[in-house]
Formats: sequence, C-alpha cells, structure tokens
Amino acid sequence: MSLFGSISVSASGMEAQRIRAELIAENMANADTTRTPNGGPYRRKDAVFTTAPVQNSFAGTLAEFNAGGTQGVTVSSVTVDQSDPERRYLPGHPDADADGYVAFPKINPAEEMVDLMGASRGYEANVAAISTVKDMIGRSLELFK
Amino acid sequence: MSLASGGLDLGSYLTWLARRQEVVASNIANADTPGYRTRDVGMPGDFSSVFAQFTPVVEEAQGLVTRNDGNNVSIDRESRLLAENDIRFNLATQLLKDKIKGIRSAIEEGRSS
Repeated sequence: MSLFGSISVSASGMEAQRIRAELIAENMANADTTRTPNGGPYRRKDAVFTTAPVQNSFAGTLAEFNAGGTQGVTVSSVTVDQSDPERRYLPGHPDADADGYVAFPKINPAEEMVDLMGASRGYEANVAAISTVKDMIGRSLELFK
Repeated sequence: MSLASGGLDLGSYLTWLARRQEVVASNIANADTPGYRTRDVGMPGDFSSVFAQFTPVVEEAQGLVTRNDGNNVSIDRESRLLAENDIRFNLATQLLKDKIKGIRSAIEEGRSS
C-alpha cells in the first residue's frame, strides 16, 4: 500500500459522512410528513457505520490483511426508527384518526442539528487528511527535480 | 556513497511515515464507527533502531478513553499525528533530495549544481 491508499481510506470516510448528512437532511425535510407510500407517518432514518477494506483487488486485500490496520468505513445499513409516532390533536386534519389525533414523525430538530454538525466535522477531518497526503505525494514527486 | 549513507535509511523511514499516515487516515475515517479501536504504527523505540531498517508494525493504540459506543478515536490525537507526519515527511524528503543532489553532482563530475 502507498500514500494513495490513504486517499482511498479518507474518501470512504467522506462518502460515509455525506450519506449520514443526506439522511439527516431527509429527516428534517420530513419532520412533518404524515403520509408515506408504506402508510403512516415518516420514520426517522439513521446510518450505521462499519469498518470496511478499501482495496478491491486480491493483491491489495492480501497486503492489507498481512499488514493489518488500514480500514475504510462504509454505511452498512440504514436503520429506520420503529418507535411509536408522536400523536398530536388536530381534528380537522385529513389524516386524523377517529379520536382526532394525527401521527407525526418522532423527529427532534435539535438532535438532528447536532448530528449534522458531527457529520460536517467528520467530513472536514477527512478532507484535511486528504490534503495532507496530497502534499506529501507532491513532495515525493519533487525528489528528482 | 549510497542513499543509505550515514546508516540512516531514509527510504524505509519514508515508507514508515506513509504507512503511519495511512493508519491515521483510517482512524479519522472511522471516528464515528461504533466499536472501532484506534490503531497506530509502532515507533522505533530506541535511537539505535533508527539506524536499522524500519519495519512498520500496526498495533492498537494504548491509553485512550473509550466512549459509550466502544469507539476510542480521539480526533485531536489524530490531527496532531497528521501534522506531525507531514513535518517529518518534509524533513526526510529534504534530506533525501540533498543526497540525490550530491550523487547527481558526482555523476556530472561536479560541472553542474
């Protein structure tokens, strides 16, 4: 593996954080959605991060296995919140039940914002790692100048 | 005169730094992965080993606080290592460059540089 391997690792981190941010944006956009194709209100989604090798060639994977240590990250699954939706009393609403209650998604905007900041900082950290490695590669190319 | 003159093998030092940078990048990428343990590349402990070949050995970093999700990546530690590696790499490439310059000068019988 080389310095280029670190770029792939950081890129996997950027991708994972971007997917997380996308899911948060989706959650916030649907914070008041009461209808979905599956019926019922929108349910909060969250990304599950898992370590994953970044090499896709056999030789690369073998080298990684022998050396150990470098692993990228991937979004292995997206969890859907299964807890009971929040019930609000809105008798005039088209989705209201017999008692006049409407099921709303259980989404806390403060929680989503904090999560979004986490995703954004994580993304930044990976970008910083890439730019450092890029400088290092640049310097090693200048060795024979 | 060889590139490893003076006993210090700059080539394998650079390899060691590249390997370490890779591990740091891996730690940063997994800063939010539940259960991930911070890894580090073993530093040549005593000064005498600096003159031997560097063989990067990846091991689990010690003395870090584990969070509730089982992850113990400290982003401050990783940014420090990122910056430190950059400086070390800069120094090593500078030294190597000077050595190459010396060899080139010998090849050209001291006519240039």
